[in-house]
Amino acid sequence: MTLLNIENLHAEIDGKEILKGLSLSVNAGEMHAIMGPNGAGKSTLGYVLGGRPGYEVTAGSVTFKGQDLLALEPHERAAAGMFLGFQYPVEIPGVSNVQFLREALNAQRGNRDEKPLSGAEFLKLARGEAAKLEMDAEMLKRPVNVGFSGGEKKRNEMVQMGVIDPAFAILDETDSGLDIDALRIVGDGINRIMRAPDKAVLLITHYQRLLDYVKPDFVHVLDGGRITRTGGAELAHELEREGYAGVAA
Amino acid sequence: MTTAVLDLPSTRAEAWRWADLGALSAAAALGPVAADAADHFLDLPGARLLFVGGVLDVVRSDLVGVSIEPIAAGEHALGARAAGEGWVLRVGKQATAAPVQIVHVATGGENHLPSAIVLAEDASAQVVETYVGAGWSNRFLRVELGKAARLMRAVRIVQAAGFVSLREEAVLGEAANLVTTFLGAGAAGSRIDAQITIDGDAALAEYGGALLTAGTQQQECAVRVRHDAVGGQSHQLWRAVAADRSTASLAAAVEVARDAQKTDGEQSLRGLLLNRTATVNLKPELEIFADDVKCAHGATVGELDALALFYMQSRGIPTPRATALLTRAFVADALGRIADETVRDAFEADADAWLEAAL
Repeated sequence: MTLLNIENLHAEIDGKEILKGLSLSVNAGEMHAIMGPNGAGKSTLGYVLGGRPGYEVTAGSVTFKGQDLLALEPHERAAAGMFLGFQYPVEIPGVSNVQFLREALNAQRGNRDEKPLSGAEFLKLARGEAAKLEMDAEMLKRPVNVGFSGGEKKRNEMVQMGVIDPAFAILDETDSGLDIDALRIVGDGINRIMRAPDKAVLLITHYQRLLDYVKPDFVHVLDGGRITRTGGAELAHELEREGYAGVAA
Repeated sequence: MTTAVLDLPSTRAEAWRWADLGALSAAAALGPVAADAADHFLDLPGARLLFVGGVLDVVRSDLVGVSIEPIAAGEHALGARAAGEGWVLRVGKQATAAPVQIVHVATGGENHLPSAIVLAEDASAQVVETYVGAGWSNRFLRVELGKAARLMRAVRIVQAAGFVSLREEAVLGEAANLVTTFLGAGAAGSRIDAQITIDGDAALAEYGGALLTAGTQQQECAVRVRHDAVGGQSHQLWRAVAADRSTASLAAAVEVARDAQKTDGEQSLRGLLLNRTATVNLKPELEIFADDVKCAHGATVGELDALALFYMQSRGIPTPRATALLTRAFVADALGRIADETVRDAFEADADAWLEAAL
C-alpha cells in the first residue's frame, strides 16, 4: 500500500524556490533514506510535509494514505499518522514534557474518535518509552527540551515518537548531535517503533552513519531540489566514498 | 448612587496616561444590574465577606475576626472617593488569622468601599478578594505590617463588565513580608494603583500578577515601591497578555532613598501580543539615590514563538490549544507566586477560562 506519494513538488520560502519538481513514493513497510549535500532542500522537504507556515507549495501534489496532505492543518497531519522529528527540537519553557505529550496524544486520539488516556495510563506509557530509550523518567517532568543536551533532545524526540506511535515518520537529521552510544539507542528506537508492515520512515540524513543501525530499503539523493538518483542501501556507502559530487556526476 | 459628571484625573498627567477613564465613566453610568448570584467563595475556612454593590450582605457573610469601621481613605484621586465605612482586619501580636475571603459583586453604577489590614508584630494573615458583576467598583486599601508580620494577598478581577479601580497603600515594618498577586481576567477595565513603602529594614514586598485583556478592554497597573530602609527587597513581576484590539499597560517604579543601602529591587515586565492589533505598554522606572543597591529590571513585549507553535501542532495539538498552552506558560510565573494551592488553582482556572474564551 502506498502511504505517501509526492508528485512534482515545488515549494518556496520567501519567494525562493527550494524544491523543484520532487517526486517520491513510499509504501508501507519501507524505510527510505534521503541524503544530499547542504542546501539541497532536505529539511525543506520535511517542513513542507509537516506543514510549517512560510513553506509555500507552488505546484505538485502530496497524498498521504490517499488523502490530500497539503489540504490538512499541521495537527491534522499528525492525527492522520504523520510524525516529524525535528533537526533542532524546540524548547518550550513553562510546559512540561508530560503535559505536552499527553496533550498531543489525547488531541490525536480525540481526532480519531478514541478515548483520551487518563493521567495514570499516560504516565505508564511515557515512562515505559523513556526507559526503552534510556532517558531518565525525571526528565519527563522538566519543561520540553529546556536545558537538554543535543543528544537528550533527540532521545526526547524518539520518546515522543514511541508514545505517539505514528504510521509514518519523517526524521530530519536525527543522528546529528549524537555520540556513538546515543546513536545506537536512537537507531534501535527507530527500528523498534517504526519497523512494521503497516509503517514507513523517511530518514533525512547527511551522513550514512545512522544507516549502520537503521538499514534503509531505498536511498535517494536529493540535490538541487529534486531526487537525482535512487538506489538500495549500497548507494549510501557509495556516497560516503565518493561524495555527492562524484555520485551526481 | 450616580455622579452626573465625574471629577476624574487628567490623562495628561504622567501617572494617568494609560488610564482608561472613559471606560470608568461609562461603568459608573451603567444602569442597575441584577446581582451575580453564583457562589464565588473558595473552599477555605475563615471569614467570608460578601459586598453587593459595595454594601455588606450581612446574611451571607461571616465576619470571623473582621470588623466594619470608618476608614480614612487618603488623598489619592480615586482612592479618596472610597472614604467611609469599610472592612478592617486587625491581627494581634504573634497571632495567625483565619483566611479572609471577600467577594465584591458590582450591580451597575458605581460602588465605593475602603478597607484596612493591620498586622501587629509577628502576625500573619491571608486575604483573597474576587470582583464580579458589572459597574464601577472603586476600592481603597491601607496595609500596615508590624515587625516580621506576613500578609499573603491574592486579588482576582473577573467582572463581566464595567471597571475596577484599586488604590492600595502599604507600609512595611522591619522584616515584614507582603506578597500580593493580581489576576485581571474578566471583561472589565481595570486600574491597579499602589504605593508600597519599605519602612523597616529587611522587609520584602512581592507585588505583581497577570493582566489578560481582549476585545477593546484596557487594564493597567501603576505601582510604586519606595525603599526607605536598609536591606529591603521588592519584586514586581507582571505579565500582560493582550488580544484583539485591547491594551494592557504595566508601569512599575522603584524609588530607593539615599539611606536605603543594600536594597534589592527587581522589576520584570513582560507583554505578549496575541494579535498585532493589540497593545502592551511597559514602563519600568528606577530612581536610585543610594549607592550600594541591586536593582534589576527587564521589559519585553513579543508574540508567541512561531516555531514552538508549529512544534506543538506537528505533535497533533490544534492551534488554539497550542496557543493556550504557550500563553498559560507565559503567565505561569506570575500566578505561581500564590502559595495557597486552593487559591492558586482557582486563579489558574480563571486564567484558563479566559484563554478558552479568547482563543
